[in-house]
Amino acid sequence: MKFLMLIFKNLRRNMVRSMLTSAGIMVLVFVITLIWSILGFLDMATSEKAANFKGIVTEKWSIPSQLPFSYASTLENGAAREESDEKPMDSMTWQFFIGSVDKNVMGFNTFIFAFCMEPKKLLTMMDELDSLQPGPRAELDVAIKAMEQNRQGIIIGQKRLAAIDKKVGDRIKVFGINYRDIELECEIVGTFPPGRYDNNTCINRDYLNASLDAYKASKGKPHPLAEKTLNLVWVKVPTKDAFTKMSGQIDNSPMFAAPPVKIETASSGVSNFLAAYKDLLMILRYLLAPAIIITLTVVISNAISINVRERRKEMAVLKVIGFQPNQIIFLVLGEAILLGVVAGAISSIGTYYFVNRVLRGIPFQIAFFSSFPVLDGALWWGAAIGFITSFAGSILPALSTRSIKVADVFSKVA
Amino acid sequence: MVDSIATKRIESQMQKRILNGILAVLKVFGIILLFIVVTALVIAFFLYFVTLDNAYLLIPASFGFFGLMMLIVYFAKIPIGYNLRNLVVRYRTTLLTSVAFILVTGVLTGLMGFINGLKRLAQATGNPSNVIVLSQGSTEEAVSNLAFESMGDIAQQDGVERKNDEPLCSRESYLVLSLPIAEPVPGSPTRRLMQVRGLFDPVASAQVHDFDLLPGGEWFSEAGVRPNADTNKAPLVEVVLGQGIARQLAGDRSKAVKENARNKDQLEIGDTIPLDTRELLVTGIMKTEGTTFDSEVWAKQSVIGPLLGKTNFTTLVLRATNPEQAQKLEDFFMGKDKDFKYEKSQVNAFTETNYYKSQSQTSVQLLIGTILVATVMGFGGVMGVMNTMFAAISQRVKDIGMLRLLGFSRWRILVSFLMESLLIALLGGLIGCVLGFLCNGLQATSIIGGGAGPGGKAVVFRVVVDWGVLGIGLTLSMLMGFVGGLIPAMSAMRFKPLESLRG
Repeated sequence: MKFLMLIFKNLRRNMVRSMLTSAGIMVLVFVITLIWSILGFLDMATSEKAANFKGIVTEKWSIPSQLPFSYASTLENGAAREESDEKPMDSMTWQFFIGSVDKNVMGFNTFIFAFCMEPKKLLTMMDELDSLQPGPRAELDVAIKAMEQNRQGIIIGQKRLAAIDKKVGDRIKVFGINYRDIELECEIVGTFPPGRYDNNTCINRDYLNASLDAYKASKGKPHPLAEKTLNLVWVKVPTKDAFTKMSGQIDNSPMFAAPPVKIETASSGVSNFLAAYKDLLMILRYLLAPAIIITLTVVISNAISINVRERRKEMAVLKVIGFQPNQIIFLVLGEAILLGVVAGAISSIGTYYFVNRVLRGIPFQIAFFSSFPVLDGALWWGAAIGFITSFAGSILPALSTRSIKVADVFSKVA
Repeated sequence: MVDSIATKRIESQMQKRILNGILAVLKVFGIILLFIVVTALVIAFFLYFVTLDNAYLLIPASFGFFGLMMLIVYFAKIPIGYNLRNLVVRYRTTLLTSVAFILVTGVLTGLMGFINGLKRLAQATGNPSNVIVLSQGSTEEAVSNLAFESMGDIAQQDGVERKNDEPLCSRESYLVLSLPIAEPVPGSPTRRLMQVRGLFDPVASAQVHDFDLLPGGEWFSEAGVRPNADTNKAPLVEVVLGQGIARQLAGDRSKAVKENARNKDQLEIGDTIPLDTRELLVTGIMKTEGTTFDSEVWAKQSVIGPLLGKTNFTTLVLRATNPEQAQKLEDFFMGKDKDFKYEKSQVNAFTETNYYKSQSQTSVQLLIGTILVATVMGFGGVMGVMNTMFAAISQRVKDIGMLRLLGFSRWRILVSFLMESLLIALLGGLIGCVLGFLCNGLQATSIIGGGAGPGGKAVVFRVVVDWGVLGIGLTLSMLMGFVGGLIPAMSAMRFKPLESLRG
């Protein structure tokens, strides 16, 4: 305990240096926390689950996938034809509707990117929404019920709602961009919980399909995209074996000849889509993060080296009064590690709460991810980074204290 | 009585300690505040006044500033030799502090080189005389959906260049293909996104986009296919490739195919790319280096469209008679002039240069991210140099006192110590710039896009670390040295000569 008090007192003795070093550690840990959160989130999105994982059925070659809606019912059933065939535990269809609340402008403040789907699937099939806490789940459930009762009802993410300057209860007209000449008159019935779906919109698929039927009735011919409205089908399966079996059913089904379809695991699909960002992610992972950690180590090492050099006399006195060389080494290491761990922990825990509670995610667009949460791991990352970098940075200066010879130091004083 | 005096002394000591603690905290907060203000000014400066195009001016500015400081040193007879000797004697601290500068500058220049490459790519793509016409509301080709019947009339408008009495234009269908990789490395993507442009008339399109083929290549035929040597197989689909995608697809081939390939690094004319039951035959490689078309595969629309289920056109590119006429056409189609606007159908039109400029939104996002990261890393560097300089000054209090007694004024002491930190910054900055320059020319992939919503194009490009990027790196380093050295130098300036000598 006395030893710990001594460490505290030593740190307090040169407050400016301790504070400057802490500030350096904090800002660098802050950046590492952000980078690791983005990379960790993408790693999670691209890693295979052992059970209850999702498969995505899309058009075999083209992106964006555009399938006829007539495929939907068969695919939702996993293309099962026999009793013994594998059927999904759950499924959902996605039709993308890209539009603008201003007919002539598609910009940040007018843009709408919507999943047209069965509203009830939001709570059973959508990542993160399927595991909401009771409070937000109940709120979303109310909005879903409203969408089911009024097919013109839509749910919009909170940031998008703010961007288009609307609120729940307002009515909006969304002018189709990919669906030319389709205009959807919608009523905002709710919003997504803050986080992943902040910029997304959900429209009832029945409303889009009805609008396409209405187009055909009024123009006397089907909409150019009428046979290409189904973009994705998601299926949830219990095991890898079940997924493999279902892949065979879909691949061998004569139903999907033109256009052909493919099924892949959700993680594989995301991974393929992120391939274009490979170099950017590599820079973050293998250049930026290590460079920051080395900078951090150097900053700490520099501060501790200066510290040791300035206190040679004091360390000689410690030796005279009976401190062993190892105890002095531990004293120096202890000072550095205490500073590193405390500053690192404050920074990463602070970042966790600030980004997740105040900013609601790191706003950085990579593929279809527009913001990233700071991961739970951040609660211990800071302390760990602080410990490792301060240990690495202070070990050499600490070991150098062994070379302090009492006679030499006092001969200079004399 | 004694107890009371002792208690008062303890209280006084406690108060002094608390006061010292508060002062230290305030001092650091003051430093942080100063840094935030300087950072905000720097970011504003970079965002509003410095584009990557004119950032090269920062190099003479940095050296000019350093030169100015050296002139002050010379004329004010500041003992710079004393500072230099101190840096050499304490070489370990000097080197350690320099490492922070080297890393921050090296990483910054590498990242800026990446962004610069992307920006150059978007800037180099597009002819100012070309006008891209997309469907109403669309800002990206991927979501455009043009009505075929209206394309003919749009192309017939005044101002569009004519060749053989036909308007010079390119009717295109842009689509993205998800192509399986033959032998994917475990854990890496199993498919590659390949951008395909289906063309109505390849020769007209080549004229509009100003692309030639590398020697030996030929544009695809009117039919767009040619017979397969194996008569049991479907005809080969003729394609021409950009140079970048030709290199990338070469890497995706199976080991066996690579071993027998004529060129292991790039697809050659006559090579084939499997696409389900069909094969794409390379009939030419386009000279597209440095443009977004470098990542594209071109084929006959009437063949590739139905094959991939995309029969509609997404894009119409018109060649105007000159850039001014192109701008007029953009205004005409966008209805900017109420009395003179196109009314037969509603479309979005952009001059090609404006269009690709808008596609560099991704680089803007990356640029802002990089500036923020560099600033935060720079803050770490500043803390490092500040520690070093504070320590250097505290060890040389007597020296400072002596200098003051010898007649050196306060501001000369300030400049002397500031120069010490600037020298460390210059050394670190220059080495960092050299390290960053090693990234120059590396091939990289990324996405460019308009920023709003999904979409964007996967592009192959080269990292460009030019004078502008080096200028930014060197300026950041010098700025770190200046901010990190200023406050300790100011504290050195305030020492009183006699008190300093007493220690």
